[in-house]
Parts: sequence; structure tokens; C-alpha cells
Amino acid sequence: MTEQALALRATGVRMEYRDPATRERLTAIERMDIEIPEGEFVSIVGPSGCGKSTFLKIVNGLLPATEGEIEIKHSKGGSDHAMVFQDSSLFPWYSVQRNVAYGLACRGVKRKEAFARALPFIKLVGLEGFESKYPYQLSGGMQQRANLARALTVDPELLLMDEPFAALDAQTRELMQVELIRIWSEAQKTVLFITHQIDEAIFLSDRVIVMSARPGRILADITIELPRPRDLDIKRTPRFVEYEEQIWRLISKQLSVGPEAAA
Amino acid sequence: MTTASPALRPVRNERDRKHRSPLQRWYRNHEAWVLGASGVIGFLLLWELGSRSGVVDQFFFSKPTDIASAAVREVQLARFWNDVKVSVWEFVTGYTLAVITAIPLGLIIGWYRRLSYMIDPWLNLFNSLPRIALIPLLVLWVGLGVESKIAVVFLGAFFSIIIPTVQGVRTVDRRLLDVAKSFGASQRLTFTSVVGPATVPFITTGLRLGIGRALIGVIVGEIYAQTSGLGVLIVRANENIQPDRMFFGVLIFTFSGILGVAALRRVEHYFDRWRPVSEER
Amino acid sequence: MAAQTTTSGLAPSEQQAKRRHPQPPRMRRSIKNEPLVFGIIGFVVVLIAWEAAIDLGMARASLLSSPTRIWSAAVTDFGNGALWPHIATSLLEWTVGFALAIVVGIPLGLILGTFRRIGMIVDPLLSALYATPTVALVPLIILLFGIGIGAKFAVVFLEALVTLTVSTITGVKSADPRHLETARSFGASRWLAFTSVTLPSSVPFIVTGLRIGAGRALVGVIVAEFIAANVGIGFYISLNGNLLNASRVMLGVLLVGAFGVFVGIVIGRIQRYFDRWRPAIR
Ligand SMILES: Nc1ncnc2c1ncn2[C@@H]1O[C@H](COP(=O)(O)OP(=O)(O)OP(=O)(O)O)[C@@H](O)[C@H]1O
Ligand SMILES: [Mg+2]
Repeated sequence: MTEQALALRATGVRMEYRDPATRERLTAIERMDIEIPEGEFVSIVGPSGCGKSTFLKIVNGLLPATEGEIEIKHSKGGSDHAMVFQDSSLFPWYSVQRNVAYGLACRGVKRKEAFARALPFIKLVGLEGFESKYPYQLSGGMQQRANLARALTVDPELLLMDEPFAALDAQTRELMQVELIRIWSEAQKTVLFITHQIDEAIFLSDRVIVMSARPGRILADITIELPRPRDLDIKRTPRFVEYEEQIWRLISKQLSVGPEAAA
Repeated sequence: MTTASPALRPVRNERDRKHRSPLQRWYRNHEAWVLGASGVIGFLLLWELGSRSGVVDQFFFSKPTDIASAAVREVQLARFWNDVKVSVWEFVTGYTLAVITAIPLGLIIGWYRRLSYMIDPWLNLFNSLPRIALIPLLVLWVGLGVESKIAVVFLGAFFSIIIPTVQGVRTVDRRLLDVAKSFGASQRLTFTSVVGPATVPFITTGLRLGIGRALIGVIVGEIYAQTSGLGVLIVRANENIQPDRMFFGVLIFTFSGILGVAALRRVEHYFDRWRPVSEER
Repeated sequence: MAAQTTTSGLAPSEQQAKRRHPQPPRMRRSIKNEPLVFGIIGFVVVLIAWEAAIDLGMARASLLSSPTRIWSAAVTDFGNGALWPHIATSLLEWTVGFALAIVVGIPLGLILGTFRRIGMIVDPLLSALYATPTVALVPLIILLFGIGIGAKFAVVFLEALVTLTVSTITGVKSADPRHLETARSFGASRWLAFTSVTLPSSVPFIVTGLRIGAGRALVGVIVAEFIAANVGIGFYISLNGNLLNASRVMLGVLLVGAFGVFVGIVIGRIQRYFDRWRPAIR
């Protein structure tokens, strides 16, 4: 229907986990169908345990889905996709620069070249001067910047982010949101972003996908028609608050009558 | 508002050091060192004086000055240096063989979960059994010579190293493995970038334990099959009631152990640069 | 996990390849209690291979023995009662020596760990003793105590003592200063702070000390019996070594190993009991 090229299409993705000891099956995701056009910023929100991380892992190729198909735009120069993990996923034994260059090393780029190519991204996320520091010498926010830079260096078509700011305090979090928007508009990436914060999802995204409680499926796919560029003040505008309330109502209904609550 | 109340007492602040003299401050900063040194000196003095006054039986326990002069005598003997050479050779060969086999094997076994389950019972059995109990068997297989001692040193160190290595691989942080996988790291790169570094502290622990076990292997091997070496020196000195020589022999092992562990700490330190420095010390 | 690459158009407007993640039906068989099943497989495979190697003449039975030969040696020596005195003596030596080491070593460690200054005074001496392979002192101890069982007690005691003391000290020092401060801020007496904070947090270290100490005590038993004894499992091993009887040597070694495994299991239980408040790993 749309003229625009797609970066990701998920059709009929279903996921069951099986307990190796008891052989019990647990349906984490009932069905997910998503299409993301190139360059779009899409967030997924939903109650805890509804299968958001699971879905991202499937897209990332870390987990095979039980059913369904994932199609991802093939990148010509860089990687198809890269993941920004939650906190403490930097290699503690590598310097910032070596961590950021890691994705390139995985693709067989020589150490020296990889280090050189990592530099602009270190600069982009504002970590200049910290290249040779070890992760423990960085603050939580700085670690997440390094994490982001690591994903960006491989020039992915699709950037996957699983609650990247969950471990940060509220202020650092807002700063990082602004930073992420800046980096996103500079780097021109398609982003699939997972969060628990409704305001974060609205602030960042072109579209917010709301998931049901487990077993997860899509409840709503809301297009955020807020003008860009956005700054933090937008969070206080009536339209923003309206979106917030709309999404909150969807999720809170899940919380009270969801299968989790019944059990 | 600010009138003193009899119910209020000043809070004593233990960290308040302002009114200390420089000497006191120096002592504060070097307390462990000063007390440790005085402990050692006191011990040696007590031993010496006790021996001289007859409280401690010289016949069995000698005294520090005698041990020192025995040391001076020994180091001038060719036989002593031959003993040293034999013991060092046994230790170095056995230990090196253990290191170069146990680390790669441990990494492989730890990586393949089911393989590690299969080998676990054997590792557990050999780890629970004093390897020196195998000496008679080793002597049966390779004779009384240096080979049987190398073998027991090897076995002593091998299991001490392989068990923590396997343990280390098995406990590698899943998230970091996910990171490597998601960036499409090759198996080799996953090993060198995740499994290796994460396992290093376990390996160094094993190496440290292994030194002690290997030294025990040298001594017991030499005591069991008395051909030559420092263990033989100890037994002979003991049989001839030369406690000064015997203690000298024992002290050589003490210092080897201390030196070996200190050297390993260096290695450990090098590999642990990325770890936050702990506050103490 | 090889990703399939297909070239059908994801969006017709642009020439691009889409990548599919293969979606195999999840058929990987899972086995209940894998460690046990595979452990038994590993054990049995080695035994069969060993027996087969002897029967096929790939190794000499006189040197390597074989599972069945060890079994028949066990049947003989247990049957005629020849093994019992050896086992009983070694057990007694181990138990008495190790118990003495516990009774002395743990309180000693608690004292040296709690009273900082005393700890500092003995620290270098203790480290030196810790680094010394104390088996080197076994000949001296036998000279001192004679070849009777008293010497064995002394050897086992000494072997286990240092380990126990050192790990207890480490445990006491590992107590979290924040917890100690909490106790103090509630006005806990020194004794209460000790029993409510220091002791519980040093338990894991003490248990580790017990584990290592038990092993060293076993080393002590064997070495002392190698050097001077006419009864005991170490004596049984070395005697049969001199008689070139590989099966009996292996039998003795296996008995020692089985005892070691048993002690390990018991201490593991103790550890789990004391660690029940700790979140499980994984
Ligand atoms: N490796 C696994 N094995 C078995 N079950 C799993 C596994 N990982 C997740 N699950 C189950 O699948 C469901 C979805 O988990 P998932 O981690 O995707 O949730 P989530 O939406 O990311 O939750 P949160 O917002 O709390 O991070 C949960 O009920 C969880 O128990
Ligand atoms: Mg999640």
C-alpha cells in the first residue's frame, strides 16, 4: 500500500518457550505482525513479561521463533541490524574504544582500522576523551552511550534497542532521549525501541505499538503526529498528554484484567 | 535555643586525627608492617633464646642461627645444587605440562555442556582424591626416576587448574555471549573476546592452587622414591638428626611457594586491569 | 544458525534482499536431568573402554589393571576382612586429626580476624606457614611422635589447621562494613555485632576452609602412612605398589577417592544449609 521501502516486516510471529525439565510450554508471543518503513522510529510498549524482549531477540536472530517469518532489509555496506542491550552489556575487560569497535572486529575489520572507524561514533555520542577508559570508569549514562556507539559503528539498517535507558535516573534519562533523537536524525536509521516509559515512547517515536499482556499480541498501533524536531517541552503540550492518556488506558486495562492478574 | 542541655553529650569522632603527632601518624599508616615485622622478629628471638636456654629442644627444633649457618654450608656443596636442579626440573616440567594441557582442555570441556557433564564425575573423583596417593601407581608405571615425580607434579597441578577453568567457562555472563552473537562474532572471536577474558580470574586461581599442589607433589614424590632432590635432602637430614639442615630444606619450599604465588599475582594483576580497584589497600 | 538469504523483493521499489531467520520447528530433544544422565554415560564409557583395552591386549593388565580385576580384588580383600583394619585406622586418624583442627583452627581464626592488632602481628608468620607445603614437616613429626597413631593425628591436625585458620580469618575480614555500621548504629554490643554480622558472613569462607582442609587432612593421612606405618589405607597402597599389584593399588586409591567424594558431598550439604538465605546462582 505504502510507496515507501520497508526496513522490517514481521509476519505471524509466534513464540513458545519450553521448559527443558518439565516440558511445559509457555506462549510468550501469540502473534505479531509489524511493518516498519525505512527511517522510521517505532516503539513497543506493553506490560512486563508480555514478550517484548523476546520479540526483539527474534528479530535480532538470537532466538528462533516457533512460527512466522522475519524479513529485514539487507544492508549493502554495513550490518542488517544491531542491538543496543540493556545495562552492563559492555565487555568490562575492553576499553571504550575497543568496545565500540567490537562490531567491526566481528566483521573481520583489522584492529587499527576498526579503532579509527570507531572514533567518529565515540564523538557522536559525546564520549570524546574517554576512549581508553574501562567501563567501570564510566557513569551509567556514559556506558549506555558507549553501548549505542557500538551498535552504530556497524552502520546497521535497523537499530534494535531494548529498554536502553531503564537503569538510568530520570534526569539522565531525559538527556539521553534528547541525545538519541539528535543521533537518530543525524545517522538516519530505522529504530525499533522497547520501553516501559510511555512518555519516552511518545517523545521519541513516529509510531507506538501497544502490546497486550502475555501471551503478547498487538493491541494498538498509534501514529504520533507531533512535529519534529521535538524538545522536552513538548511533553507538557495537551496533544502529548492526550497520547499519554490513550496509551495508559490501553495498558492499565491489561494490568487489571490480564491473564497474569487472574492467575 | 542554644543553651547547653545536660542530656546532650558530645559525639566522639574516631576519625578525628588532627591532634596526633607525626610519629603517631606514621605508625598509623604503617601499623600492619610494623606489627608484622615485630611478630617475625619476636618469633625468631623466642626460638633462638628458647633453644639456648633449653626450653625448646634443640635436638628436634634447632635454632635460627644454626639454620642460617647450615644454609651457608649447604650452598657451597655441589650435591645441594644437584638436588635443587632435580627438584626445579621436576616442578617446572610437570607444572608446565599441566598448564598447557589443562587450560585448553578446560576451555573446551566447559564450552560443550554435555561433554562437561560426561567428564564431571571423573574430574570430581580425581579432585577429591589426594593425587599423591597415586605415587605408588606412577612408580609402578614409569619407575622410581624423575619421571614419576614429574607425573605426580603434573597430576597435582592439572586438576587444580582444569576444574576452575571449566567452572569459569560455564559461568560466563549470558548477556555478553548474546552481544557477541548479535554482532555475528565468529566462534573464535567469541572465545577470545568473551570466554577467555571472563575465565581468566578462574584460571589464575587454579594456577595459584596448582603451585601448592605441585610443590607437595615434588616433596612427597621424592620422599616416596628417594633418588635425589630437596625432598630427599629433608628426609636424610631428618634421619641424621640434623634439624638445621632439615629446616633449611623446608624453608626453600616456603620461599618457592611465596615467590610463585607473588609472581602469579603479577600476572593476575595484568589481566585484571579492567576491574575496579578495590578500596582497601 | 546460518541465516538464509533470499532475494525476493521486500519492497518492489528497490532492489534489495530480504533475510529470513530460519524457523525450524523446535524439536531439540531435551533430556530430564542432563547432568546425571550424561555423567553416568561418561562414567560407563570410560570403564568399558578401559576393560576393552585390556581384553584386546592394547595395554598390560599387570600395569593398568581393569575394572573387573579391581572388582575381584575388592571382593577378595573385603571378603577375608583384610581391608577393614586399614580403613578403620585411616578413618580414625582422619577424624581425630581433622576434628582437633576444627576445634582449634576456627576459634583461632575468629580471634585473629577480630582483633586487628594480633592479626597483624601473626600475619606474615601465618602466610609463610600457609605457603609451606607442610608435608615437608611430616618426617620431623614422625621423629617427634614415633610411628604410632599419635604422629598421624599430629600430621593430619597440622595439615588441616592452617587452611582452616586462614579461611576463617578471610571470612571475618570479609564482613561488610556497612552491615557492621548498621549494627553499631543500632547500638549493638561488640559481641552482638560479632554474632549477628561477622559470624554469618564468614560462614561461607569457613565452609570453604572445611572443604580444602578435609582434602589436606586426607593428604596428611596418606603421606604419614607412606612414610611410617604398618596399617592404614596409605600403607595398603604403598605395600601393594611394592608388591607390583596394580589392582590392589587402584582399589586403595579408589577407596580414598570415594571417601573424598563423600566428604565433598557432606560439606556441600552443609554449605547449602548455611547459604539458604543467599539468592541461588542462575
Ligand atoms: N529463556 C526463556 N525461557 C523460558 N521462558 C522465558 C525465557 N525468556 C522469557 N521467558 C518468558 O517469556 C515471557 C516474555 O518474556 P520477555 O522477556 O520477552 O518479556 P518482556 O516483555 O521483555 O518483559 P519486561 O518488560 O519485564 O522486560 C515471560 O513470561 C518470561 O517468563
Ligand atoms: Mg524485557
